[in-house]
Amino acid sequence: MIYGDRRTGILVQGATGQQGSFHIQYMNAYARSVGGRGVVAGVTPGKGGQEVHGVPVYDSVRDAVAEHDIGAAVIFVPAAAAPDSIMEEAHAGIPVIVAITERIPVHDAMKAIAYARMEGATVIGPNCPGLISPGEVKMGIIPAHLASRGPVGVISRSGTLTYEVIHELTRAGIGQSTVVGIGGDPVIGQTFTDVLERFEDDPATKAAVVIGEVGGALEEEGVASTDLPVVGYIAGVSAPPEKRMGHAGAIVEGGEGDAASKIRRMEALGVPVARRVAEIPALVQELL
Amino acid sequence: MRLLECEAKEIYARYGIPVPKGVRVKAGEKIPDLSGIGPELVVKAQVEVGGRGKAGGIVMAAPADAARVADELFRKEIRGVPVREILIEERLPIRHEHYLSILVDRSTRQPVVLFAEAGGVDIELAAKETPEAVRRVTVSPLLTDIPPFALRDLLGARVKEFGPVVNRLWKVFREKDAMLAEVNPLVTTERGVFAADAKLIVDDNALARQGIAVNRDLSPREREAESHGFSYVELDGSVGVIGNGAGLTMATLDLIQFYGGAAANFLDVGGGADQERVKHAVRLVAGRPGVKVILVNLLGGITRCDDVARGILDAGVPQTVMVRLAGTNEAEGKKILDGRGYPMYVTMDEAVKAAVEAAR
Repeated sequence: MIYGDRRTGILVQGATGQQGSFHIQYMNAYARSVGGRGVVAGVTPGKGGQEVHGVPVYDSVRDAVAEHDIGAAVIFVPAAAAPDSIMEEAHAGIPVIVAITERIPVHDAMKAIAYARMEGATVIGPNCPGLISPGEVKMGIIPAHLASRGPVGVISRSGTLTYEVIHELTRAGIGQSTVVGIGGDPVIGQTFTDVLERFEDDPATKAAVVIGEVGGALEEEGVASTDLPVVGYIAGVSAPPEKRMGHAGAIVEGGEGDAASKIRRMEALGVPVARRVAEIPALVQELL
Repeated sequence: MRLLECEAKEIYARYGIPVPKGVRVKAGEKIPDLSGIGPELVVKAQVEVGGRGKAGGIVMAAPADAARVADELFRKEIRGVPVREILIEERLPIRHEHYLSILVDRSTRQPVVLFAEAGGVDIELAAKETPEAVRRVTVSPLLTDIPPFALRDLLGARVKEFGPVVNRLWKVFREKDAMLAEVNPLVTTERGVFAADAKLIVDDNALARQGIAVNRDLSPREREAESHGFSYVELDGSVGVIGNGAGLTMATLDLIQFYGGAAANFLDVGGGADQERVKHAVRLVAGRPGVKVILVNLLGGITRCDDVARGILDAGVPQTVMVRLAGTNEAEGKKILDGRGYPMYVTMDEAVKAAVEAAR
């Protein structure tokens, strides 16, 4: 529980939209099952006074925080409005902001994240599935039934690949402390380095899995920054250069950020790197 | 999307960055009178590939010869790319070549400005061999101008000479949603500073607001895929691949390679794919020559396995479709496909191994 726990009240931005209302239901079903507070308020400008699955909706984040104790926000609004939502929440003093929205222009993401940092807020994402601390809290869209509570922190740039990994870990009897999808865009609020730092300070986390992909060098930087035992995996070994592999950030550019060199650098730091997802549980078991 | 040099230079010129005098000529167009451009000319193929000069895409010519040189260039391919447009411009009397670029730095989440005293074609090599030769300064994305201290850090004693150009490039970078705005070389001449070359890459997520309707970096099939909301990349193997989520789909491709096969494509159907989208995806992948089998690897979170199964059935393609479905409504999905000739697998490894075997 590194970004929140059962006591964390969550605000959903874009609460009356299809995605927002769908996931309010799932987040609150999870909260009920673990005895947590879950989503306590929603925001959609112009829809104040409505309710979504029993959650009161406000016109602005300012109105919502005046009525509720809110520790985190999850954003489901479209790309054109999401940067403004990040800034609105940061300005209202919400400390953790999870941006699920994909296809936000990079310049908008850079500005919103820079602004949020000035306000002292932590941004996770954008273009991410959010996080789950099994038994404590779910902020976002990670399917809760795949996760189980335990000592392993999972950090990933991907969504469904994360689900595959936690599914494999759970099947192997290895539970997770917190699973964080940090997002598939080139510019993201929390990097591997940031999340690993939180895992190091988290008594519930004994080891971590770093699930990376082609593009940039955030995986190597993260692994180099931590003393925590880590297992790595890098997707995109077979990815051709200069082609964007689905994620805006997943591209080998100017000969940089290819999977082979990432794996080499991680292994040079003493980190075991799985070649197949199915190998991850056994490598993690060796560290525990 | 990467812009052509001539497009980037037109933008730079509008922002007050001096560029050489020149004309754009498209294939099939009549080459205009070149006598007023300069005493010596450079004929440059407009292709979106690096190392263009070394590949014969840049030719010096006297004004009287330039039309003939351009005609020859139109008949060439530069690194496999046909020449559809040419820029004919004045050859500058160059004193020195420098390097200037602004790009998105993932690690600091901010733009970074790079400057090197020595510019020219081998900047990547120079940066690797003597990293200290490239000076770099990060600038907050919230600033509309680069502050003077940052210009001093970047340019040292050359602030007066290059400062204005750096700030104008900063405005281009910000206002054009650039992932990269590069001037290499940035040249000094008796007449002042010029952008002798220009490279501008626009964020694919900002093309619409930049007024760019078509992403030219994509092939026609890739564009069709995008119109359905898929992420799609063409490869040259025989196993067609459909996955949900970029990471899982990439991991599927890697596993195909691990087991000795080769994927024909990358196709991510995206989150919450329904019956109709799955049908389109299967047909799109099946329609490509050389695809022997199709592997569908979907992990349903928001995506429902029964929807996926119906989509596969609707597609009704000639190739064998091998299926690995896990997650929401998994049992219903399997029931729909059971006994209809769709091999089904529980794990990703089993499914990939079988698909590679079947494609042999």
